[in-house]
Amino acid sequence: IMSTPSAKTASAGSKTKTSTTTTTVVKTTTTTTKAPQQKLATTLGAGAKVKKAKTTPSGKKAINAHSNRELGSNGLMRFSRGRMFRRRALYRIDKWKGAQAKLQGDKTKKTTGSIQKKKQRRSALTKKPVGGDRNGKQRLVQTKRTPRYYPTEERQKKFSVKRKRFGDHPRRFRSTLTPGSVVILVAGKHAGKRAVVVKHLSSGLLLITGPHKVNGVPLRRINQIYVIGTSTKLDLSSVKIDKLDDKFFKRVRSAKKNAEKDIFDSKKEKTQLSDERRQTQRDIDTAVLAAIKAHSDSRLLRRYLKSRFQLWNGVLPHKLKF
Amino acid sequence: LYVKAVFTGFRRGKRNQHENTALLKLDGVNARRETNFYLGKRCAYVYKAKNKTLVPGQKRLNRVRILWGKVTRAHGKSGAVRAKFRRNLPPKALGRRIRVMLYPSRI
Repeated sequence: IMSTPSAKTASAGSKTKTSTTTTTVVKTTTTTTKAPQQKLATTLGAGAKVKKAKTTPSGKKAINAHSNRELGSNGLMRFSRGRMFRRRALYRIDKWKGAQAKLQGDKTKKTTGSIQKKKQRRSALTKKPVGGDRNGKQRLVQTKRTPRYYPTEERQKKFSVKRKRFGDHPRRFRSTLTPGSVVILVAGKHAGKRAVVVKHLSSGLLLITGPHKVNGVPLRRINQIYVIGTSTKLDLSSVKIDKLDDKFFKRVRSAKKNAEKDIFDSKKEKTQLSDERRQTQRDIDTAVLAAIKAHSDSRLLRRYLKSRFQLWNGVLPHKLKF
Repeated sequence: LYVKAVFTGFRRGKRNQHENTALLKLDGVNARRETNFYLGKRCAYVYKAKNKTLVPGQKRLNRVRILWGKVTRAHGKSGAVRAKFRRNLPPKALGRRIRVMLYPSRI
């Protein structure tokens, strides 16, 4: 509750746009018995800031008659929000203006554009050259023409702008699958092998590598669900992985040929490993192998990555600690 | 890389059975709280047939066929589990081996 000091209200009658209710209240407080602080106010002169006494001479807590307070205990305040805004006159204060400008930051981006657009707006009519000898060479035409069709019903909105497309959805990664952690591949060609997570890709896939020398697992994309994260971690902070993204690994499909050719050419096009891929494999692997060497249990780690994950009699995955 | 399970029967009351849900008994899982790991995991009923068919991923024709499904929820207190298959399991699979794979992995 904002309470304006009593001395101020006496002189601030011009500032506030409130009705006469405040002024009448002022008069009633100044009863016959003048409180000592009010005596002080009169002696010092109008406009002087005097600290309000917290207790009346009788010892009760003083309620500032001009302040905003609850009317009963039902949540209603004496002055409404708009009323209080005007009373506090915050719109005059630079600090408030600054805060507002910040809040409206995003909005202003749009509005400034539209404001600029408005300033750059072409006039409603433009001159356009017209052919023909006796047509007056120019004609004033509307810059923005009125639409020639006004639909009677609103068109069905097919796609809400707010709803995000799948491509824009945030991708989340399991906490156990950080770059540098050793994972167990649980499905696919390399099921049972252990590999190292190199990077999180923007599509939600993981980029892993054996390294290829160690266990034959190449630089490959894999979905998180086909991978079990282990607690073994490598430090891959020195590996340069900027170039690697989904585009790099995307399958390159040849352009569609003629239908005739398709019938006769029954050969499947084998995907050839590009030299670029081979080179990046080598680069990443040397960096990862260096990280393995730097690890405290480097010999054990190499052996570990070479080995396969196996389940045998009595081994229960739900009881294993990975 | 799979956990062994047995197809013990269909979901049923005493007198009615519902073949769309199968009950599986997983090896080594004996309490309800242990089944948490297996929820959502893919399961496969693998069987052989007389005629050879092409299996995706294999080049040669194969006699092996698979019915895929997934573990949906726990069943009872003692570690049994319910699974739903894409097509209902044939009753001759009763008592037979079902493979519960380790994917989709959540750890």
